Amino acid sequence: MASVSTRIEKLRKQYPKSTSAVLPALRLAQEEHGGWLPPEALREVADALDLTPAYCLSIASFYDQLRLEPVGRTLVEVCTNVSCALSGAQQVVEAFERELGLEAGTTADDGSFTLGTVECLGGCGWATVVAIDNRHRLRVQADDVPAIVQELRA
Amino acid sequence: MSELVAVTVDDRQIDVPKGTGLVEAALAAGIEIPVFCYEPRLGPPVGACRMCLVEIEGIPKLQAGCTLTVQDGMVIRTAATSPKAAEGQEATLEFILVNHPLDCPVCDKGGECPLQDLAFRYGPGNTRMTLPKLTVDKPIPVSPLIALDRERCILCYRCTRFSEDVAEDGQLIARNRGARTEIATFEDEPYRSPFSGNVIELCPVGALTSTLYRFEARPWDIQNVPTVCTGCPVGCNVSVTIREGKVKRILSRNHPEIDRGWLCDKGRFTYPHLRAEDRVTAPLRRGPKGLEEITWDAALDDAEEMLREAGDAVVTALSGSETTEIAYALGRLLRGGLGAHSAVMPEATSNALEAFRLPLSAIGEAEIVVVVGDDPIVERAPIVDLWVREATRRGAEVVVCSPTGDLSTEPGGAAALCHELAGSRKALGRKLRAAERAILIWSGPGGGGGARLAELAHALGLEDKPGSGAFHLPATANPFGVAAAWAASADADEANPEPFELLIVSGDGAAADPSVRLLAEQAERTIVVTMFHELVGGWADLILPATAALERDGTTLNVEGRVQRVRRAVLPPCPDELAWIAKLAARFDVELPPQATGVFQELARHLFRDLSLDEIGLKAPLPARHPYQVPEPATTPSSALPTFSDEHYVGALRLQRYRALFSGPAVERVPQLDFQRPRPEVELASVDAERRGIAAGDAVLVRSNGTSVELRARVSRRLVEGVARIAEEHAADLHAAVEVVKAQ
Amino acid sequence: MPEHPQIVFAGTDGGALTRIEDYESAGGFAPLRKARSMAPDDVIAELEASGLRGRGGAFFPTGRKWAFVPKPDQLPKPHYLVVNADESEPGTFKDREIMLRVPFRFLEGCLIAAHAIQSEYVFVYIRGEYELEFEVLRDSLEAMRKADLLGGVTVVLHRGAGAYICGEETALLESLEGKRGQPRTKPPFPAIAGLYAAPTAVNNVESITTVTSVLALGAGEYAKLGVEGSTGTRVFSLSGDVVNPGNYELPHGITLRELIYDVGGGLPGGRELKAVIPGGSSTSVLTAADIDTKLDFTSLVEVGSSIGSAGVIVIDDRCCMVQLGIRVSQFYEHESCGKCTPCRVGTRWLTQILEKIEDGRASQPDLDLLLSVCDRILGKCLCPLGDSDAIAVLSYVDKFRDEYQAHIELGRCPLEGDSSLEGILAPSAMHRRQAHEVAHV
Ligand SMILES: Cc1cc2nc3c(=O)[nH]c(=O)nc-3n(C[C@H](O)[C@H](O)[C@H](O)COP(=O)(O)O)c2cc1C
Ligand code: SF4
Ligand code: FES
Repeated sequence: MASVSTRIEKLRKQYPKSTSAVLPALRLAQEEHGGWLPPEALREVADALDLTPAYCLSIASFYDQLRLEPVGRTLVEVCTNVSCALSGAQQVVEAFERELGLEAGTTADDGSFTLGTVECLGGCGWATVVAIDNRHRLRVQADDVPAIVQELRA
Repeated sequence: MSELVAVTVDDRQIDVPKGTGLVEAALAAGIEIPVFCYEPRLGPPVGACRMCLVEIEGIPKLQAGCTLTVQDGMVIRTAATSPKAAEGQEATLEFILVNHPLDCPVCDKGGECPLQDLAFRYGPGNTRMTLPKLTVDKPIPVSPLIALDRERCILCYRCTRFSEDVAEDGQLIARNRGARTEIATFEDEPYRSPFSGNVIELCPVGALTSTLYRFEARPWDIQNVPTVCTGCPVGCNVSVTIREGKVKRILSRNHPEIDRGWLCDKGRFTYPHLRAEDRVTAPLRRGPKGLEEITWDAALDDAEEMLREAGDAVVTALSGSETTEIAYALGRLLRGGLGAHSAVMPEATSNALEAFRLPLSAIGEAEIVVVVGDDPIVERAPIVDLWVREATRRGAEVVVCSPTGDLSTEPGGAAALCHELAGSRKALGRKLRAAERAILIWSGPGGGGGARLAELAHALGLEDKPGSGAFHLPATANPFGVAAAWAASADADEANPEPFELLIVSGDGAAADPSVRLLAEQAERTIVVTMFHELVGGWADLILPATAALERDGTTLNVEGRVQRVRRAVLPPCPDELAWIAKLAARFDVELPPQATGVFQELARHLFRDLSLDEIGLKAPLPARHPYQVPEPATTPSSALPTFSDEHYVGALRLQRYRALFSGPAVERVPQLDFQRPRPEVELASVDAERRGIAAGDAVLVRSNGTSVELRARVSRRLVEGVARIAEEHAADLHAAVEVVKAQ
Repeated sequence: MPEHPQIVFAGTDGGALTRIEDYESAGGFAPLRKARSMAPDDVIAELEASGLRGRGGAFFPTGRKWAFVPKPDQLPKPHYLVVNADESEPGTFKDREIMLRVPFRFLEGCLIAAHAIQSEYVFVYIRGEYELEFEVLRDSLEAMRKADLLGGVTVVLHRGAGAYICGEETALLESLEGKRGQPRTKPPFPAIAGLYAAPTAVNNVESITTVTSVLALGAGEYAKLGVEGSTGTRVFSLSGDVVNPGNYELPHGITLRELIYDVGGGLPGGRELKAVIPGGSSTSVLTAADIDTKLDFTSLVEVGSSIGSAGVIVIDDRCCMVQLGIRVSQFYEHESCGKCTPCRVGTRWLTQILEKIEDGRASQPDLDLLLSVCDRILGKCLCPLGDSDAIAVLSYVDKFRDEYQAHIELGRCPLEGDSSLEGILAPSAMHRRQAHEVAHV
């Protein structure tokens, strides 16, 4: 696997102006650093794109998918916007809280899971939508949760 | 005269030039539209705060006035005549105040706060916000100089726009989104930019405040004195806040052609040196028991005696930061009174550049800017750096030819480069020739004080192009004025007495200069005029207390050739130079006025065509260009430094010393500025670092026969090969050729 | 629904056309060839004639938008086509299905549009949460490159990173330039100074995909579908309390009743229809009384709402309208970019007041304050995001005043904990909860 900076260099070439590569670069750096962006990751991206770490922080902190705190090995995000909410999203959230022994918005001490709620994932017709490591599970109901968690633990 | 458009603001008809901003147009009609985020100096408007909402005939929605330029026939209604606009303004103000702590009584901004004023004028008077406000830890230090109170912040983004779009340092940023947005720096790193202090003045509320000014004064018990900064040759216009005879802060006093209302942190924050621990306030004489305080009469007797003994065997070391009047008075005393014509200046200057005069603001409009010389502009004349950035933003081609620049040039190679550019062989030279608005800048030592640059400018025919010009950026505040005054003070030629007996050191700049120390060793005796005991305690025979620029009246001649007035903001703790020089001069039958105005009148006759102080006024005009006069030819070879034949020879590197902006006796006496001072580093080209097995951040030893210093290595992609760059204050007395090795 | 003509989804009969040869044999790429054989201006004229209007929410005529883009000789800068695939409007999930089922028709539309505005650069800004959709587009694009269909046009798939505001066209451009996704003031409009300050057209995925169909059918044929002022079909996203939620491509002008009952199978358990949000959460709510409203631009304006993104959310009688207000307001509070004051401060304030009402702590003045804060947001913001919150909340109070009143008079929620939105945990509330916990320790 090529080094982060060389891969960012490639991203950069896609765009007429190199600053446009900052989002893809931050996404990439986040993958490389276990799902979040520690300060050194921001420094890396800054170096590769001739930006300042502070600039990269201002960008990263604007977008929900870019994280500035450590995140569990598995990321579980339940959509609780109106359509999912009407279809029992809160019961799904609580089911995950029970099964994972985690309060939504927190990460397990052993770093295994992070549980959270998110705004509309664009799957309102297939409620409730649950994003697991950014892959969407559709039509999830509270009863499905134990099985899902088991599968994830395995 | 540009085309006019007719607009109506609150029923008032007015004609303004096409493209005028709506806010400005209203002002021209005598109507103030309140704004927070709007600040034209920060670039295009952002329309963020919504304070400026106005109604425009034909547009259903309220518009952010600050984002619009007026069109012919536009009918604008502000809160004054439009209930809708008034409601919009009220709404914005209420929203701004919803989370505001309303802690005006303990806020530095109180009394001079746009938010306070607008709340007073348009505010609801009571708050309808009964629910929990957003609260955060406060205040937090953004740097040792600046404190941030996030609860007071109204998120106008002025500070972050300054950082990103004006200083372009990318240090001060907005973090997070929506209601959780806040101003921040990276991690706990300080906002480290030579221009950081400007955000304090830009902040329309008390969110960003000066740690030096916090709780120091209230607007109603201060006075402001208009003067000019003498931190560098730019001479930014400033206003000095005084309370109980003490300097409390320094603010900009926008001169659109010079500084556009920006200051560097050196100019803004160095004033505490006036009250330095080791400030000399009375004359001191070296006696059997070391230095002892003496009366002024005794001091003048001593001085007279020393001068009479030395006769013309005197050398005067000038700082280049004296007022023109002081330099002239010294000249009259020493040259007129004793025939002691010999003076040393930190740097040469050349009149030849007077043929290429331009306001600094012209740099912003240039098509092409070529910078030559060894030092980054920001270290010598920081505000010029902002003008050059402006030029880049406006699409100008900016080429920096230096050891660290775009077109990497050997140290000391600038003169040779100028010579090349004058010829038609170099493409860059041809571009310069073709451009209507071409700017040349010499930033660094050597080059006959801009003489080589003047030759280039002349070869390119810039004197005939009103939009083109050339600037030499000297290392001190008033070398042009000092040199001119010294020259004008007598009509005999300079003569160098060999050997000489007496060295007179005028000011701290000279006193801190290593080469002046060497002179002192050759001299029988030394008289030093200085502010600081520590600087000279070891070697001066007679110490006369100096005043600071903030304590002086007089004039300076800035980098553009503009005569500006320095005004006394606070009384000095000692008689000022002109007073005692006049007394001493009288003992040599030289008649001198004892205060600046008198001296100025006399030298204005010689130098400035009888220019009067009134003509200079508060915002000095730029005098016309002079005809080009061929400068002195180069005496020293273009590159005085040793050269090494084999480039792969892993031996000596050329030492390149540079004088950092944040250095010198005054800066060293302000602890809050320490974080801005150059770090103990040596900058190496990556190739040179590799060859020596040195990585960035390594501790290294820099040696030259005998002496050696330990520094951290800074590895640079840009620095030219074969050079070791070290800030003056860390270079100790290393020689021109050094060897750099990893420290064990 | 087969009995309705499928334009966007033509040739899929319920499935997907994700293999280039299948798409080609279903008539794919003929429209592209046709367009390339036409002068750019004629393509634009064809679009104008079709009456196609933007599907992203603003319903702006697509042809006219392109006509605003200066010709390269008028403004000699690179021209850009930017496709808005940031679909984040609550209740809307159509673009996603379009990209999954007819990726080639979508990409073909991009190339046709690029030809029309004479651009050699297409940026597809796809919301970061759409992983699968991104992969499908990436592979389809690769297939088209291999098949040498791109004709010298560079197509870049640019992934967002989670910010609803980046769906607003100028915020999208900022984000695409590598900045914080905060809207710009207009003028200048993107057509003149868009991406990198160069002429730019920004279009929605469904709009662009429909462009292909318009060229396939011809403007005349296409215009026959739908109703006056709202020609053609629309992919309606149906969700909420309905038996058969999902995306349905139907002609403009069918009624809410047809959509919810005939197509959607009605409400589960025979429950009662209480409210309908017709065009994504940013649009005014309707009630059961509006059930025969036609789903087209003018008809919805007539009942005081808007077709928006055609995301239809069905709400039954279990739902507390104050809780709906809270949840919707929490969304806008969370998504506000923080640039302009009324939106940044007002959306949070609305949430707080609504929570007070739901908790039964509110008195009459609080309800007045709620409405007044809505008014003070409305029309004062830099972009429509803040307005959307105010519009939505105002409509809830307007249509369900008694229910809001009841909260104040009873000092509690009349549904007493049985609301279908009871206790729903929004991200913004989650953040606040965490923040407080931090504060405690
Ligand atoms: C807050 C906000 C969010 C928006 N989100 C989207 C979106 O997710 N997708 C979209 O296509 N348009 C969205 N829009 C509309 C766009 O600004 C723009 O009008 C549209 O993409 C133009 O494409 P069209 O003319 O094809 O509809 C949004 C507008 C606003 C104000
Ligand atoms: S700190 Fe001051 S200048 Fe910066 S955003 Fe806040 S109010 Fe504006
Ligand atoms: S001054 Fe116009 S929006 Fe801030």
